[in-house]
Amino acid sequence: MIRYEHFVLNNGLKVYVHEDPTTPMAAVNILYNVGSRDEDANKTGFAHLFEHLMFGGSKHIPSYDEPLQKVGGENNAFTSPDITNYYITLPSANLETAFWLESDRMLGLSFDPTVLDVQQKVVIEEFKQRYLNQPYGDVWLKLRPLAFKVHPYRWATIGKDISHIENATMDDVKGFFYKYYLPNNAILVVAGNVTVEQVKQLCRKWFEPIPAGAPYVRNLPQEPEQTEARFLETEAEVPLNAIYKAFHMPGRFTDAYYRADLLSDVLGRGKSSRLYRRLLKEQHLFTSISAHVLSSLDPGLLIVSGSLNQGIRPEEADAAIEEVLKEAVEQSIPEEEVSKVKNQTEATLVFSEVELLNRAMNLAFAANAGDVGNVNREADRIQAITPDDLQAIARQVLRKENSSTLYYRAA
Amino acid sequence: METLNRSIAPEFKKVEEVRVPAISSLTLPNGQPLYWINAGQQPVIRLEIIFDAGAWYEPLPGVSNLTLKMLAEGTRARSSAEISEYLDRYGAFLEQHSGTDRASLTIYSLAKHLGAILPLVQEMLTDSIIPEKELNNQKNITLQNLRVNLEKNNYVAGQLIREKVFGKSHPYSHSQKPETLEAIHRETIETLYDHRIRNRPFRIVLAGHVTEVELALVERYFGHQPVEIPLSSDGTAVQPLSETEPVLVDKKDSLQSSIRLGRQLFTRTHPDYFPMLVLNEVLGGYFGSRLMKNIREEKGLTYGIWSNVSTFPRAGYLIIGTDVKREFTQLTLDETWKEIRLLRDQPVPAGELQTVKNYMAGSYVGSLNTPFEIADRYKSILFDGVSTDFISSYIERIRAVTADHVQEMANRYLTDGSLIEVVVGGK
Repeated sequence: MIRYEHFVLNNGLKVYVHEDPTTPMAAVNILYNVGSRDEDANKTGFAHLFEHLMFGGSKHIPSYDEPLQKVGGENNAFTSPDITNYYITLPSANLETAFWLESDRMLGLSFDPTVLDVQQKVVIEEFKQRYLNQPYGDVWLKLRPLAFKVHPYRWATIGKDISHIENATMDDVKGFFYKYYLPNNAILVVAGNVTVEQVKQLCRKWFEPIPAGAPYVRNLPQEPEQTEARFLETEAEVPLNAIYKAFHMPGRFTDAYYRADLLSDVLGRGKSSRLYRRLLKEQHLFTSISAHVLSSLDPGLLIVSGSLNQGIRPEEADAAIEEVLKEAVEQSIPEEEVSKVKNQTEATLVFSEVELLNRAMNLAFAANAGDVGNVNREADRIQAITPDDLQAIARQVLRKENSSTLYYRAA
Repeated sequence: METLNRSIAPEFKKVEEVRVPAISSLTLPNGQPLYWINAGQQPVIRLEIIFDAGAWYEPLPGVSNLTLKMLAEGTRARSSAEISEYLDRYGAFLEQHSGTDRASLTIYSLAKHLGAILPLVQEMLTDSIIPEKELNNQKNITLQNLRVNLEKNNYVAGQLIREKVFGKSHPYSHSQKPETLEAIHRETIETLYDHRIRNRPFRIVLAGHVTEVELALVERYFGHQPVEIPLSSDGTAVQPLSETEPVLVDKKDSLQSSIRLGRQLFTRTHPDYFPMLVLNEVLGGYFGSRLMKNIREEKGLTYGIWSNVSTFPRAGYLIIGTDVKREFTQLTLDETWKEIRLLRDQPVPAGELQTVKNYMAGSYVGSLNTPFEIADRYKSILFDGVSTDFISSYIERIRAVTADHVQEMANRYLTDGSLIEVVVGGK
């Protein structure tokens, strides 16, 4: 249970405050409602490149990091297909420094060409370090365009190709900033040793003077229903064969999402899950196997993935996975197994609230998706799921014609 | 309304103190210590049982790690599958860790399920049977994961630098190889289990929602089993030795090189520890460090470059590391040495030193936010012979470091030729 208060500034910035007087720290989380799904198909990777530029100096403050470090604060950010999220933790006595820094970069950036030039190089090295120079690092670069043909989830957040990052211009940067980095397109969460009154006062001082912009109305092409199984093979210098299967499923915060999430736990969460127990422990087909869901806001994917034991062919492993999936579709999942995955989820939820910053982020994600109250309803919604619900979602999701399969062969 | 001057930073306060709850302790009836931190709002608990195991006590690299893994793979009463099933039924997470000088079994659980989980944990510690079939399974999984890791430049570079810094035969450089894994048999595991875990001395650390109820449960399940002190200490008292030749592992298809520069240092009780921490921070310890500014923020050669001081109970080391575009390998090495020379030749300017100290103080306080983090910090006091005021005096000791100290450290520990160089990729 995360307690919060809420208010909206005149410029449309939504603010949430979570008071926790037991910590000497404060967390400030700003979520901008823009991610890689909002990118132009010919300029992918831009939302993430832009995140780097947010640290390259703002309208009145030449360096973002240094003044924050000086007051004992830390910060970071990440970009996902749905959002770009920036966060600070600092001693609560210095809360105002966070407001000063974050409001100035919401107001305007330095738009320094050197910063763009350097960050393009940094992001290209990030691309190589994480996606190209790692065994299996390019899986998502291949799996996304296989599973999505229309929706912008078809490209990875890092971008489709290095050339897209190389070709970004300062005009692109400015256009992006003035379109998306608006008070009325953001969520601010302040948590920790703070008071609602204090946060209100600081918000009025630092954020309220920032003018609102034209609201961003998202109108993305939605993925049409998949009608036949898709399949791709790739080969690389990796030690083991691997397999990845992706099934379309509903988006985050819907009832069906929680059902699919719980179904993925039955299939492949932990060592007592069906896939692990049968295919790794009993049949020795895999050296790792699991299932999980992408928690995307638009309809996402349920993923089953695993590394194959030496000498096992992907065809054989695939057939074995299909067997396990088929059983979940055809036979009701025993009550006891359902209560096991519910208990696992309950524990995960409670543990996720131990960290102050996580509580702040959970509030921001739920608020951005349209209803902050969801943050405290998840536990009950999951408890309400029945074996029939699970079988129904298994029938809907785990169909061959809804699947995309990638065989990753060791060369 | 007065106009807001956004060019001026708000007033701020320096962080001067760390406030953490005290750690409590008692001695269990069988003489073993139990420590606890009661903190946090959530009804969760972490139970950690710590043994004298780990690299220092193992005959071959990886034995201790595999032994800890095998604790969950079968007892006289339960099979491997039954153990996983039982833990998952209560949503509990099991974590096994084998470090340089200690090994631990950790349970994360909702407080309400602790009573159900503890009998199983007790069973693992006293009644494991190490089934041959499960051991082969674990060995195979470990081997296949290892083969994937050995394809990663940064993994290989990390293994090599520790070998070079501590010497190949030193336990601190223990790293698993396919051939060492092959040499581990059921008897090897059983011996370590008997000598280091089953009815051997342990320490328990509880953190989270700890009340009389949880303490009584722990006493019930861990307070009465007999404990025997091992006859031999088993520890190999190898003196760490450094090699100095640079190492290059050429990987022709690599887009990037993993670079590591390292040397031996000392433990946390050494008088140079705090000044060295500050030097490390200035050089590469945080996002605003000199190496990050130069190599990433000015030249864009890498996604990240860092330096780090690691300390263990018996020794410590410094490592600088980065992954860079292959053709920039030499340039990165040259620029790194340029930054090091600058720290030797000139004192760190007052403003920069102030920022670094403030940052270190703030991030230290920020790293003591959860009951688990607080318990982890106390462990070095409880088990590594660090002084009892280590946490409370940390900030004061950082603040006491001067620019002269930092320069002195650079001249003492970062002289030309003092760092061993490892490059995996190409030069």
